[in-house]
Amino acid sequence: MGRMARTRRCVGLVTLGWLAAGGTASAQIDPIEIIDRVEQLYRGESSRGTTTMEIVTENWDREITMEVWSLGNDYSLVRIQAPAREAGTATLKADQDIYNYLPKVDRTIKIPASMMGGSWMGSHFTNDDLVQESRLINDYDIELSFDGDRDGVLVWEFALVPKPEAAVVWGRIEYRVRQADYIPLAVSYYDEDGELARSMEFSDFANMGGRLLPRLMMMRSADKPGEYTSMRYEDLQFDVGIDESFFSLRALQNPR
Amino acid sequence: MLQSPWSRIGLRNLGRNPKRTILTALGLAVGFFTSVVMVGWTQGLMNEMVDNATGLVGGQIEIHDAEFLPERSLYDTIGGRDGIDVEQLIARVSEDERIVAVAPRVYAGGLLSSGDATLAGMLMGVDPEREVALSRFLDDLVTGRLPQPGRNELVVGTEMARQLESDIGDEVVVVAPGADGSMGNDLFTLVGTYRTGLVEIDSAFAVLPVQDLQALVVLDESRIHEVVVSTEDPWLAEELAAVVAATLEGETPGAEVIPWTELTPAIVEYTALVDVFYFVIIVIVFGLAIFGVANTMLMATYERRREFAVMLAVGTTPRGVVQSVLYEAAALGLFSLALGVAITWPVMVWWHNAPPDLTGLVGDIEMMGSVVSLTMRVEYDMGFTTVAAVALMLTALLSALYPAFRASRVPPADILSGL
Repeated sequence: MGRMARTRRCVGLVTLGWLAAGGTASAQIDPIEIIDRVEQLYRGESSRGTTTMEIVTENWDREITMEVWSLGNDYSLVRIQAPAREAGTATLKADQDIYNYLPKVDRTIKIPASMMGGSWMGSHFTNDDLVQESRLINDYDIELSFDGDRDGVLVWEFALVPKPEAAVVWGRIEYRVRQADYIPLAVSYYDEDGELARSMEFSDFANMGGRLLPRLMMMRSADKPGEYTSMRYEDLQFDVGIDESFFSLRALQNPR
Repeated sequence: MLQSPWSRIGLRNLGRNPKRTILTALGLAVGFFTSVVMVGWTQGLMNEMVDNATGLVGGQIEIHDAEFLPERSLYDTIGGRDGIDVEQLIARVSEDERIVAVAPRVYAGGLLSSGDATLAGMLMGVDPEREVALSRFLDDLVTGRLPQPGRNELVVGTEMARQLESDIGDEVVVVAPGADGSMGNDLFTLVGTYRTGLVEIDSAFAVLPVQDLQALVVLDESRIHEVVVSTEDPWLAEELAAVVAATLEGETPGAEVIPWTELTPAIVEYTALVDVFYFVIIVIVFGLAIFGVANTMLMATYERRREFAVMLAVGTTPRGVVQSVLYEAAALGLFSLALGVAITWPVMVWWHNAPPDLTGLVGDIEMMGSVVSLTMRVEYDMGFTTVAAVALMLTALLSALYPAFRASRVPPADILSGL
């Protein structure tokens, strides 16, 4: 089993190497830099935004409005504003730790690392997606797998394979980025068996906080067609002048 | 039998070398003892395994919505979205008098948190009174008491309590996704801990009153995931599952009635395997004995060559000689059997009623998702005991066949003149 996986990975790397060597025209492209830039798109030095999440499942659908803050890569805070029943519920990432604040019982619980792949508030986004605990450029080897035209748009496609020691849930990620402006278009997440697990599409490109961004992210799970979670940015500002104290446990429980 | 001269000769010969006879008989008797006690003990272990698999946490019959297994989705409640009249369903299921207890359950996945520790666990909603009548895991709590409805109380396994670093009276935050998509969360008080010996249960299941769990995960009172049934005898489960299924047909659409034999087929297959193994024991034990007895019989007949020669010389037919040796073997078999029963019976009665407890040496053992404690409790198995008795007699007779044949072929003139 282990040997097979290794062989498969080797074959993958050889293929990728061949593709990379074949695309000499893109020799100046640095995949790591591009993915890093895409990952930082919504974050900046610090940021604050309002998003609306629509979750549609087989059994129910609902809409959540929330406020999202970030500072660098180590701090994030997501606080629900609506529906009223869950208003105030918040998720905080500070350094390596993730906490959930539950206003109904006025308690904060620490989310174990093993739960990072679990669903956030029943959506198709994981806790990790929301607070970006793991960073793609740290955990994955990134190779350019395609450079050319898709549906009339010049794109790069990157294949991300987890580094051997990385503790991540996906077996492979494929990222499609628009060449003209480094805007992400689509991401596909594959499980360890190489099966497509979920896919995300970006659309509704608009200028927010001085940057051109996709306002809408649509996440679909592969095994439940018809189910999806969309996340739309209502507004987004960068460099909003917050510091680490904003992301303390006390601040989590007592919003300013 | 005793009227024939051959039987008298055979019997008399047994007394000729009493030490040898007793030693040979002891060999057969110990073989009988070994096989009966080993099988009785294995039977005891198997019974305990079946008993624990079907009585400790699970029941002997489970009723759920046909879609519920294997995913155990929160939404797949009995009777679909509308649910059912739980009391009426329980009453209908309880109709057969061989059904001894029936209890409803609700399940949900969630997070439990106390202090700095947070665990993912299964929440099991039960009707405490009915649950105690049905399963055994809540009968003797390690600490504390059962949760009472409406008071936000729960009990957890000892391993979960250890991982949560919580004790009786501590507050536990429970978070679970609700059926309406909301994130149910509430404060509970830990009022007790249970222990099954199965780590996957003791570390994973938090038990709370069914109404409290329904409120947490926003399920109506009519919506439950499972009705668990226990019967007089685990081996009645299949028959009674069919009875219950017939009762519910048409009344509870989409309900599925599954006996434990279908839920844990491994245990059923294992019991079938063990049944075969019993005969392997017989073959091995008496297969070994047969050579010992044959050796004794060969020696006994060899040293009586002159006697057989005389018998043949005075007109005894070879058939008569064979008969006398076989009668001797049969008598030896009966004597061994009597000896065997005399050794085995008291030990069986003793170990059935007051089994030696070896759990101090090895602790509990997990087998196929069930738990067995290593006591030497034996079960009576008359069927197998009869088989062992027949095997003993056959061993005695078979092992005498060759010596008997040899004895009948003694050349009288050579032997008698060869002095």
